[in-house]
Amino acid sequence: MSTKESERNSSAQQTLDILYDISQLLNTQLDKATIATCVGMVENGVNPEALAAVIQELRREGAALSTQPPPNMG
Amino acid sequence: MATASSLLEPLLHTYVPASRTDESLKNDLVSHCQEILKSHIGQKTETNFSQLTDLVKRRLLQLSPSGASASKFTNLVARLLDQPVLSRKQESILFLFALSSLNTRQPPTIQIPVLTTSFPSRRQVQQQSPNNISSLIGEDGASSASRLKEYRLLKGVSHMNESLLVRDTLYLMQGISGKYVRFSSLKDDEKNLVFGGNSKNSISPSTQALILRLAELGYLYSRVENFVRKRESAHGVGMIEQSLCHYLQIQLTEYYRLIAVLETHLSCTQRESADPPSSVNEETGLSLRRLDVWVTEWRLRMRMMSVCVEGARDSHGGALVNLIHSYTDNGDPFVRRFTDELLEEVSRPFFATLQKWLFSGELYDPFEEFFVTADSSHGHVPYVHPSSLPGGISQMSNEGVFGGFSGDAEDLSGHRENGQKLWETKYRFRKDMLPLFVGESFGRKIFSTGKSLNFIRYSCLDSDWVVTREKMSNTGGILEYGDIGGLERSIDTAYQVASHRLFEVFIEKFKLLDHLSALKQFLLLGHGDFADQLMEALGPSLARPANTLYRHNLTANLETAIRSSSALRDPVDVLRRLDARMLEYSHGEIGWDVFTLEYKVNPPIDTVLDLEAMEKYLKLFKHLWQMKRIEKTLDKGWMRVTGGAQKFIRMPELEFEWHKVRLVMAEMIHFIRQLEAYCRLEVIECSWKVLIDFLNKKEGDLDALIDCHRTYLDRIAKKILLWNSKPGKEEVLLRQLLDIFAFILQFREATDNFYNFCLTESARKDQEMDAERGLFTGTPKESDLASSQEHLAGILGRLNEYGSGFSERVLVLVQQLQIHPDLDCRFLGIRLSFSDYYKPRREQQPLQGPAKA
Repeated sequence: MSTKESERNSSAQQTLDILYDISQLLNTQLDKATIATCVGMVENGVNPEALAAVIQELRREGAALSTQPPPNMG
Repeated sequence: MATASSLLEPLLHTYVPASRTDESLKNDLVSHCQEILKSHIGQKTETNFSQLTDLVKRRLLQLSPSGASASKFTNLVARLLDQPVLSRKQESILFLFALSSLNTRQPPTIQIPVLTTSFPSRRQVQQQSPNNISSLIGEDGASSASRLKEYRLLKGVSHMNESLLVRDTLYLMQGISGKYVRFSSLKDDEKNLVFGGNSKNSISPSTQALILRLAELGYLYSRVENFVRKRESAHGVGMIEQSLCHYLQIQLTEYYRLIAVLETHLSCTQRESADPPSSVNEETGLSLRRLDVWVTEWRLRMRMMSVCVEGARDSHGGALVNLIHSYTDNGDPFVRRFTDELLEEVSRPFFATLQKWLFSGELYDPFEEFFVTADSSHGHVPYVHPSSLPGGISQMSNEGVFGGFSGDAEDLSGHRENGQKLWETKYRFRKDMLPLFVGESFGRKIFSTGKSLNFIRYSCLDSDWVVTREKMSNTGGILEYGDIGGLERSIDTAYQVASHRLFEVFIEKFKLLDHLSALKQFLLLGHGDFADQLMEALGPSLARPANTLYRHNLTANLETAIRSSSALRDPVDVLRRLDARMLEYSHGEIGWDVFTLEYKVNPPIDTVLDLEAMEKYLKLFKHLWQMKRIEKTLDKGWMRVTGGAQKFIRMPELEFEWHKVRLVMAEMIHFIRQLEAYCRLEVIECSWKVLIDFLNKKEGDLDALIDCHRTYLDRIAKKILLWNSKPGKEEVLLRQLLDIFAFILQFREATDNFYNFCLTESARKDQEMDAERGLFTGTPKESDLASSQEHLAGILGRLNEYGSGFSERVLVLVQQLQIHPDLDCRFLGIRLSFSDYYKPRREQQPLQGPAKA
């Protein structure tokens, strides 16, 4: 049982590695954790392109907020 | 979605660190993100896996052109597919791919539209930092159009109410100036629109353009209408043009109907929109644009009509039909249909004329629109019946040659020309008037058919048949444009029937064949016995001077010849036409030069046997008659030199001379016999057979018949007269032949002299011998031996001269015949020199006047 569990884990790890490699290739600038989250969402049936849009949006949002003057941050 | 939203939070935390602390911001973002997720971005593209990987590879190649990353990607994908964990690998890759492409698209700041429009403003509102301009847009919500309107109101210039303009436009479409928009010039050709408006209102340029478009209809309309009006009042307008006007009128009526409907519509609209003023009825009302759509088809139609009107201005009749027909080859089905319709209408009078022409041979074409025109100088006058043809009694007048002759000849030739002239010139074919849809060959057939029928009716006095035919063919249906196939069929049948009938009429009713064979028998001396008899009867008198000949003697002799030969069995009608007469003679001519047989023909036979043909027959007769004369003379001479000379003349010292005479004469007889046989067998009979074959076939029309007879006659004339086709040498051989004939006659005369001399001489010798025996038989004439010897030498010299002259000339003739372009003539050369007797001098050195029978 434990061997199966570990096998599963390792294969999940491998999959994540592969996806990470691909994302590196595609220059998506995602870290492994985010990829894991996103893939999880995709697995849950989220529209992948919409998700991509969300990521994009959040990034922009984040960038906007970080360049906002400090009072907003506070 | 619960899991999805729960997973959103880590993402939010990652990218917007501020959201960790700011709850409202977090909620805001989460709801926003969920909105995005619920949206349908990219869901339309259903891609399969391989397509997706292809896309990715292409993208990778864009990022790094080396291709290494692409192969690496392929590798990774293969490994990914081996992994059992993920169930939606394709979507995962799609996600990465989409993100990647969004990433790079970012620099040119093209963003997903959903985000750009609402998000910033929302945030800005939320952030309570309003911007002046954006607030103006946001709160007012007015479009630039409405602002422009306000601006205009401010300025006091406003646009016209469209419904008013619609009314004006309806007027314009009828060529009438409206209240606000009017035509500037009253001239037909150039009409300009003036947009008046009133002081307060103006018409916007776009509306102006629209009205201009619509007004084109009005312009075209007034042109077409003008044309129709003008033609209505004018007289002498062709039938085809009339029917064009008729069609145009129908079209215009349709157009009025359309205008009326539109007007009703407009008034309804206005009543409805009267309650809420100013606002144009949006749903059902009449606007300029709607008007434009509704009249689109009419614009095309009007344009076509206007083109036709333009064309009708300078073409006429069949040419006009042609002009319209040229538009049927249009690729646009609408134009094609329209022109077909128009053509159907316009060609109706044409087909009516055609039918009349094709089935009854009548040309009813008061405006000269048909492609057949009648020459007015030859009216529909039926002919004078043959019996009333004036006889040529005054021709024989001895003294008053000028008065009697010329008058009669004119009269006669006037009548003669009629048949041929009538056939050839009464109707003429006009190619430019022939409608294209008929085609030229059919046009010719139609032309020929009508001509034949007309000819049968008026020249052959056989109108009953034509009328019956007409009735029969009328049941067959009406000819019209829509049924070109049927038209061609009926043309073909009508053509065949008409030409067949024409042949029948000519051969059975008018006995063309009898006349042709009579011409051959009498004028071409086909009846050998008749020719012999005539020669015998006339021979003595023809040797006398021409002015001592009398016509009644000639006709009496002709009568005798006919009675005593097999010609008696020929039809009376033929014999009646045969006449002997003399040509115009001058001083010093003898009967042989002026005598001729004549065969009289009347209409309608003279269509085939026209004046020209008869002249040729006469020419041939003259030649053949001369040949016959030579033959007869030689026959008589031969009897003398063989019978008489051997029986009565006992002059052994002249026996050798007689032998030479016989040789030469035999040569001459050979020559003339061969020549005659050639004329008879090779030329006349062969040509005759061709002609008869044609007549038996009964194909083609009268023109073909005339042509055939003409070729028959031409062939005979050319071969008998040894006509050479080389320019300048046409009659060289004929002249040589006539030369030879002259030599023969002179030789014959010389032999007669020789014979007479020998006869006297031997009579003198007989007397001397009688005196020696003591028998007194008469007073011995004191003959001068020297002078008689001289006389003999002269005669012998002439005999020699003529004999050798003859031989030389025949030699030359044969040589020329051997290189004659005509094969038959070449064959005559072979006939004459069958044993190679006539060889050039140098080739026949050893031969010296060998015998030749």
